[in-house]
Order: sequence, then C-alpha cells, then structure tokens
Amino acid sequence: MHLQHPASRLSLSHLLAAALTCTLTYFPQPVGAVFRDEVGHIDYHHALLGLPQRETTFFHRPRRDDRASLLYTLSDLGILGAVHPGSGEIVWRQDLRSGGDDIYDDDDENVGDGDGFGLGFTRAGEGEGWIVSALGRAVHAWDAVSGRNQFSVRFDNGVVRDLEVMEMTEQEGGRRKDVLALVEEGAATVLRRLNPTDGSVVWEFREVTRDVPLQVSTNVEKVFVVSLKGTAGAYNLKVTVLDTLTGKRLDEMVLGTKADVHGKKDVMFVGANSAAPILAWTDDARQTLRVNVLGTKTRQEFALPPDTFAVEIHAPHLIQSQPHFLVHSKTSTGHKGEVFHVDLKTNTISKAYSLPMLPGPGAFSTSSSGASVYFTRITEDEVILLSSQSHGVLGRWPLKIGGSKAVAIHLVSEVIKKAGPEESYAVRSAAVTDADNWVLIRNGEELWARPEGLTGGVTATFAEIPDREELAKSLEQEAHSSPLQAYIHRVKRHIHDLQYLPAYLNSIPSRVMSSILGTDVAPTAGKLVRDSFGFHKLVVLATKRGRVYGLDAGNNGKVLWSTRAFKIPKGRRWDVKGIQADESSGQTTILGSKDDFVVLKTDTGDIIDSRAPNPEATTQGAALVDTPSGQQLLRIGPDGKIEDLPAARAPSQTVVTRTADGQLKGVIFVANGTNSRAFTSWVFSLPKGQRVVSIATRPPHDAVASIGRVLGDRTVKYKYLNPNTLVLGAVDHSSRMLVVYLLDTVSGQVLWVSKHNGIDASKPIECAMAENWFVCTYFGQYALRDNSAQSLKGYQVVVADLYESDKPNDRGPLGDAATFSSLDPIDVPTGVVLPSVVSQSYVLSAPISALQVTQTRQGISSRQVLAYLPESHGIVGIPRMVLEPRRPVGRDPTPAEAEEGLIRYHPAIEIDPKSVITHERDVLGVGKIITSPAVVESTSLVFAYGVDIFGTRVAPSFLFDILGKGFNKLALVGTVLALLAGVVTLAPVVKRKQVNMRWEAPM
Amino acid sequence: MSALAKQMPTWAVELKNPPAHQSKQAGLPDPPGFPSSQSAATSKSRSQKKDAKDSKVAQRKPPTPEEMDTLKLKKAWEVALAPIKSLPMTAIMMYMSGNSLQIFSIMMVFMAFKNPIMGILTTNQAFERFETESNKARILQVKLAYVAMQLVALALGVWKVNSMGLLPTTRSDWLAWETQREPVERAVHAL
Repeated sequence: MHLQHPASRLSLSHLLAAALTCTLTYFPQPVGAVFRDEVGHIDYHHALLGLPQRETTFFHRPRRDDRASLLYTLSDLGILGAVHPGSGEIVWRQDLRSGGDDIYDDDDENVGDGDGFGLGFTRAGEGEGWIVSALGRAVHAWDAVSGRNQFSVRFDNGVVRDLEVMEMTEQEGGRRKDVLALVEEGAATVLRRLNPTDGSVVWEFREVTRDVPLQVSTNVEKVFVVSLKGTAGAYNLKVTVLDTLTGKRLDEMVLGTKADVHGKKDVMFVGANSAAPILAWTDDARQTLRVNVLGTKTRQEFALPPDTFAVEIHAPHLIQSQPHFLVHSKTSTGHKGEVFHVDLKTNTISKAYSLPMLPGPGAFSTSSSGASVYFTRITEDEVILLSSQSHGVLGRWPLKIGGSKAVAIHLVSEVIKKAGPEESYAVRSAAVTDADNWVLIRNGEELWARPEGLTGGVTATFAEIPDREELAKSLEQEAHSSPLQAYIHRVKRHIHDLQYLPAYLNSIPSRVMSSILGTDVAPTAGKLVRDSFGFHKLVVLATKRGRVYGLDAGNNGKVLWSTRAFKIPKGRRWDVKGIQADESSGQTTILGSKDDFVVLKTDTGDIIDSRAPNPEATTQGAALVDTPSGQQLLRIGPDGKIEDLPAARAPSQTVVTRTADGQLKGVIFVANGTNSRAFTSWVFSLPKGQRVVSIATRPPHDAVASIGRVLGDRTVKYKYLNPNTLVLGAVDHSSRMLVVYLLDTVSGQVLWVSKHNGIDASKPIECAMAENWFVCTYFGQYALRDNSAQSLKGYQVVVADLYESDKPNDRGPLGDAATFSSLDPIDVPTGVVLPSVVSQSYVLSAPISALQVTQTRQGISSRQVLAYLPESHGIVGIPRMVLEPRRPVGRDPTPAEAEEGLIRYHPAIEIDPKSVITHERDVLGVGKIITSPAVVESTSLVFAYGVDIFGTRVAPSFLFDILGKGFNKLALVGTVLALLAGVVTLAPVVKRKQVNMRWEAPM
Repeated sequence: MSALAKQMPTWAVELKNPPAHQSKQAGLPDPPGFPSSQSAATSKSRSQKKDAKDSKVAQRKPPTPEEMDTLKLKKAWEVALAPIKSLPMTAIMMYMSGNSLQIFSIMMVFMAFKNPIMGILTTNQAFERFETESNKARILQVKLAYVAMQLVALALGVWKVNSMGLLPTTRSDWLAWETQREPVERAVHAL
C-alpha cells in the first residue's frame, strides 16, 4: 500500500507527459485543409493556355462520326490544350515544356520567334482521333478527346523543325495517316515518317548538307522538304521531292531567291496538305508576291497593294479541298484580300477575284467543308463569310465584342452550311484580339472570351485599393492647422458626412442579413472599397507581352482593367526588373531593364507616365534607393556599372548588383563636394566553375513579432535579424555540387556556407528567406543515417535558422548594443559577428518550386512555406513547424522540447494533400507566388502566376481572429430570439401566478 | 376579554398567559451534580472555613490575572500557529492541482494569496481578545510569529505561482521589452 501510492503517482505524471507529447506529436502542425464551402469563395483560378498561335490553332472533330468539334491550340507558352467551343471551358491541357527542354534558354531562331513560325507545331489528321504536337526535341501524339498521351518520341540530338500529317491513301496501311517530322540534327536534315499509333519510324530520309531545313509538305503522291540553301543572308530555296512509300529521293530543285530570302522569316508560306501545295515569298519591298507550286520549277509573280508591310497567306489544309488560297496584305491604313486558284493540271496560278480594301486592321481565316473552301473576314465591325469560288458574300454579321473595341489579330473558323431551301451559313470563329483575349465569335456575337493574356506573367504585386483622396487630403489639412481650426474643420467634415448616413442606414439591413446568412456583402456597384479584414486588394500583373492587368483579389480575381504598356515584339519578353505599388499616391510603377518604365493608376490602369524600352539601352537593372532628395530611381548599367551622381541624388544605401561574369558587388557613394563618386565596396566572386542559380532576400514587408525564440525552459534564443543578408545558391556543374552562401550585403562577408552533393541542376533549385531563416530546395544526394556508405537521391529541402548565439539567453558578442554595423568588427580576434546557424535537411516526396513564405501583418502567426508542385499541378503550404531545424534527431523530444512544439526529426516530409491549398484545382505552370499581409493577423493573401492565375487566402495558424463560415450565426440569432420570445410569453403567465398565490388563503 | 377567555380552551389560555413558574417541588431531589446540590455541599463545607455571605460568587476560586494572562497567551500562540498547521494540506493540494492554468488551480492560488494577506492585515483584530495591559509585550512576540507564519503561507503561494510560470523571473518574460538591434548601414538589391 505504501509503495503503491508514489508508484501510481509516478505513472500518472508519466501519463500526463505522454499525453501532452502525443497531442503535440500527432497534431503537430495546424494543417488547415480548405473547406468545401470556401472553394470559390476565398480562392479563384483562371485556367489558361497562353495566347493561341496562328499556325497551331484549329477546330478538329475528335470523333469521326460525331459532328461536335473541339478547338485545339498550342499556345505561345508551349501549352497544348483543347477548349470546348461552346462554353470556352478547357477540356484538357498538356504542358509540353515539361520535357526537360527549357525553351527560353534556347537561343534558336525557331523557338520563341513568333514571326511566321511560332513556337512548336500541332497537327491533326482529318477524321482521326488524335492530334500530334512537336516542341523542341520531342514529338507527342495525344488522344484528341481525353488528352492522354499516345506516344512520345524524343530526338536527343535534333530539334523538330516541322510536323505534318500525311493525307495518305496508302493501300497496305488501310486508312492510316502517318506523321512526318522534320528534324534538324546539326548539319543533317532528317525527315522521319512516324506511325501514329506507337511512334515507330516507318522510314527515314537523311541528308547531310549545310542547308537549313524549313518545312515539309505533302500532296497525294509526293513529300516535299523545303530547305534554305546558301549562306546566311542570301538563301536559295531547295525543294527535295521524296517518295511517300519509301522516303527515297525522287527529285531536287533549287529556286533562285537569293535577293529576296534572307532568313526563315522571309518565306511566307509553305503550303500545307492541300492538293497543290505552294511556296510563297515576297521581295524586300513587299511589292511583289512570288509563288511556286511545289514540285514545279516555275514561279509566278503577283503585284501587292502599295504600302504593304505584311503579307499572310491562308489556304485550306485538306486534300479534298479545292486548291485555292487567299493572300492577305496589310497596309498601314487598311487590309486587302486576294483569292487565287491553282490549276491542278497545268500547275498555274490565276487570280480569281480580289476583296475590297477595307480601312483599319482585319483578319482572315480559312475553313473547308468537303471540297468547298470558305474565307471568313473579320474587320473592326463586321464578320463577312465568303466562298473561295466567287466574290459573293455568303453571310455578313455586325461584330459585337463585349466591352472595349477589340481588333482580331488572327482567327480560326468553322463554317456550317445549314440545310434548308435557301442557302444559309453559320460561322464561328475563335479570334485572338489585340487585347490578348481569345474570343469565340458566333455569327458576329461574342460567345465567350478567355483572358489568355494573363499568362506569361513576369511580375506582380499586391496593391491596396486607393483611399478616397478627399479624406486623405482633409486629414492632412487638419494635421497642419491650429487645433481650433482643425476642430472646426473636423466638425464641418462630419456634418458633411451626414449626407451619407441615409445610404449607410439603408445598407444596414442587407448587411445584417448577409452577415447572418453567410453570404458576401454585395460589392457596391462599380466601386472599389476596402473591406475591414483587408482581403479586398488589387493585384497588378505585368506579362511578358507588355500588357499590365489589374485583378480584383477580393472579387474572385476578376480582371478589372488591362492596359498595353508597350508593344513587345512577338517572341521577345518584357524584361521587368521591379514593380512597386505606392499606397499613398495610388500609383504603380513598373521598371524594365531596357531603360523603360511605366507609371499607372492602380485602380483604373490609366497610364500616367511611361518610357518605351530602348533596344540600345545600356541598363542592366534599376533600383529604388533613398537619396537626400527622396526616393529615386537608380539605373544600373551593364556589368553592374553605376555612374557618379550629384550628391543630392546619391543613394545612402549600399547598392548590390551583379557583374557580367556572375560576380556580386556592393557599391557605395562617397560625397565629394557637390558630386558623389561610386566606389565598389566589396566584390563576391564565386569559385571557378560555380554559377549562380538562385538568390533570395528577405521580403520588404517582413514583420518580426518577437526578436527571440522562447525555449521550453523559458530561456531565449535570440534571432539573428539582419536585413542586409541574402542567400545565394551556386551550382558547380563539374562536381555536381550546390553551395549555399549566406552573404552580408553591406560588407560582402560570407556568413555561412553549406555544400550539397550530387545535384541535378536541371531540376528546380530555389531559395526563400524570411525573418531569421531560409529554405532551399534542390534535387540531390544524401547518405543514409544507419548506413552511410549507401546514398540515395531525392528532392530535398534544407532549412537553416540563424541565431545571435549558440547559447540561450545570450545576445552574442554585441551584447546589448542597440545598433550594429557590418563594417565595424567588434574586436580583433573574432572579427565580424557571425550568426549561429542551426540547419537541417529533409527529403520531400515531390519536387517543389517557386518558394515563397507567407506574410502576416505583425508576424505573430506561424509561417508556411508555399511552393508549387510542378508534377501534381498544385500549390502546397508546408508549415514552418515541420521544417523546423531544431527537431530532435534520433530521440523523442523531452517534455520541454515538446512544450516548444518540437517533434521528433523524421527525414521524409510527405506532401500532405490537406496542405495543398489549390485542393482539386489543376493549376498549371506557376512560375512565381507572391504573398501579402491582410489587416487581420491570421491571414496572408496568396497570388500565383505563370501560366495559370491562382489566388487564395491562407491562415497558417488558423483563423483565430475572424469567424469562419462554419460559425452558425443563424442558430445564434435564432436561439436569442427564441429565448426572447419565451421570456415575453411566459412573463405575464408567471406574474399572474404570483399574484394569485398572494390571494390564496393559507389553509 | 374574560368572555373570550372563557371560550378558549385551557391550554390556549395557558399558552397565552403561562402560569407562574412553580418552584421545585419539595419532595423531588435535584439530580446528582446539579448546581444547587453541589453548591449546597460546597457552601456547607466552605461555610466552615469562612463566612458564606456571598456563596454564589465564591463557588470557584477566580483565576488570578497572571494565570489569566498565561491562559490568554497560550490561546494566542494557538491562533498564531494555526496557519502553519494547514500548510501541509495546502501544499499537497497545490501539488496535486498541477501547474496548468485551470479554474481550480487559479482559485487555489487566489486563496493562497488572499488568506495570508488578509491575516496579516487583521493581525490586531485576531489578537484583540487576548491582549491585556500586562501581556502586551508578550503578545507582540506572538503577533510577530503570526505574521511570520502568514508569510510562510504566502511563500507557498509564491512558490505555486512560480511553478505555474507566472512569475517574470526568466529572460523570456522580459523579451517583449527588448528591442531589435538596428543596422547602421542599409543595402538595396538591384539583382
């Protein structure tokens, strides 16, 4: 009995400790899954493809016996997709860039160079249930309905230059349609005929010349390979004729075009699978069009309208279509179309008729149904349907594109001839407008519009909705006048504000009702108003095509405005160096690298000031710096060179730039009378062989709630909070090593280095930094703990915490100093103050990229590391508590550690589906994630861009300061009302009873 | 009245106007130990020694003022030591209630502080009845002991509060008042 008592108490306390540990272990991280009713309420998603290209967009019937067709496109970003033409919904998408080729790194002329060739190729065989695409080195075939891959062929030492589907009537193959892929393998031109079911090579034609392969084309009997022969700048066109069955060379002819053809761009058109494919080019002055019917040696010349600056040729792609084509010539004032017919017997081309010259821009498209060929012409205000046979107008509809006046740049059409006594036609056209929208126009009316211009974002920022200016102004006025005047002014202002009172009173019932029913307060029509939680913000997004978009993050990411800042040539990208939204002025400034900038109003997108990119500009970047005369824009020349500045405009900070050879340097300005000279204060050169892959700095808004971390025993580990730090990841390709440097950007001092071996540099390597810690992710090698001889490879994330000292309750060598200087060593032996680093690596179950850390208003909430999952197309929020480097390794946490929230180290971090903030949405191609604090501390706003646009709100420590949607206000109010009703009805009853009791005689 | 009295039953009349107390009947002796018999006996014996003019007062010999002071002092010591007697129980209860912030432990802590402080404040009232002109000096010692005991009880409360982590004794408690070290220089990135 005596023994039992302490023993039982002991076990009780053990049990308590164990229970506490269990609670913290099994519910370690607050993983807030997205609730079903929050979907579409807190988050928004624009599923996009990129801007469709002229040559790779078409209508196609995925099932032979079904008349329904889908709209297929390979966009300028390399996304292949199918869109339902009725609703504009995406049926399926495939990211062709994910084959390992970084298309933007390729300096090749073909890739990313939009003029005439575009990016990649897509073809569909008429009546076939597949489509085939090529991008870079790979050819893929996809099921046209489901988007499933049928085959993938990769040409490791060649780049696909053209792709065609053979319109074959081959006897032994039945109704098979084969794929022709033209591949450039160094000096060799290789044409491969591929079986569409498995991608196997039927035959291969190889020719080792120095010619530049251009295109491949077929008619019924022959295959034509068109290439450029000669020296750069003056080419002849060489047409090689091949046998369809064997791929043997039958003939070869050279067309003398040296004066006209200087490059691939100068060849306008190589006729597709029409019965008589043609080859067309113009002279330099765009005065005559020269056309050759493939397979012949003759060329015919046609005069173009004067002042033509661009020519497009539209021809049907079907073998059974009549061999007609349309020449679309654009002049500075209008556009014109001329229709030509090819005589199949004599191979002569004759002009059939010409369409009137119409003012303004316009676009044409070809569509064929059976043998008949139709041309659809879209002008600024009309849709006109024509037949290739005669100039008679088959249909004419006024063009109604909702909203702003949009001009179609190119389009694809589908013409349906309606059965009936009199001929009537219906036409639907998918047009790309100059507002970078993809619009489906059915008989002149807009059916849907997809904001495809939102893709290809290069930079974005959150911006506050500008306050009413009068209020800000009057508050300023009050601040500057005498107290009495200010008081009178304020009373006046309040009396003036009374006029809004009735409207406010009117809005109360609806607000109360919507609050009880959990619906959103209806946004005031057409007016942008901030909400009290700070969720209603704007996102300003700049795309690589030179457009700037304003999105309403509080209203399902609706596009509020879009402005073309600059006309960026196709295939180029707007190189943006910085974006800044100024809250007080309501203006957003975007800085480009080519000496360009644009200042626009955040709420309307009106451009206030801009300077177009200058191709010869000698700037590498720009930075907003503090100078004696306010914030100024500092331009940095190539090689990180900064000119001397007048003292009044010299920055007070150290400017960190990059030099041409990959060095980092810090530049300070030293005043010298009225001038100030730029001095390089430090240079950081990487060891030979290393290349910078990622640089991360602390975000501009990085609130730190506490300067130390309280440990389980109530001691404090002080955080190393130095705003002048950056994390630099460098890869040594020869030794496959990643070196992570932590640099002090004032002194250039390396504060910490870590090395990771067995790196695959083609996988994403990224870093992110916040507060006193940083994370880097990479694909690398790691040794097993229990058998260090064995090593594995995997996606990893390394996290490092920086503290002022190794010991708790110690502020390091600087002690209680209120300030510190990186340039001022504290004492001789130790030199600079180095942080104490605690670091740990984890293995991830999936690759991640686009790292970002959540930001909250005061930094009290715990953090999440947001990252894009490129393979599962989602965004995951990994709690910082999981990525804690102080997790005890190889043992269970002590009670003190458990109290701190530390859980036992486990090397693998599984991507918890509950922590995927995009839940079931398929978010494709996220390049960057930005976060912004809201007014409420718990919440951080998230916006992801790249291909798709996705935005949501995350609460890493749960919504502790606002009521969730699950809070049943109706039940609460109902209970109160029911109680009130009960009291009101029961009160007289009780009173009567009490009075009666008084009057009863005591028996 | 008389008419009313006539109507009323006898018991009611007696209830209203109880009959005069009848003196003890002669035949019945007092039970043993009843004061009358005792006093009779003592008075009888005492009457032999001295005159029994005031037999009632002289029943027992009244304690002397010295004796009275000693008695009061004893009683006062008991009162002074009372707080410490309940300490072990309080300590056990405090230990059992745990260090988490719950209503039970909070109430215990509150009582652990309230009782000693109130006791110290009411020291004079507690010893008022034991205090006389003559034992003032000695009562002062008792009072001091009492205060000391209450302080011990208070210390127990403080120990409890400390073990609950409510005392700002660690570095982490003052963290909010410490400031971040500001850098002298700043850098701006133009990468």
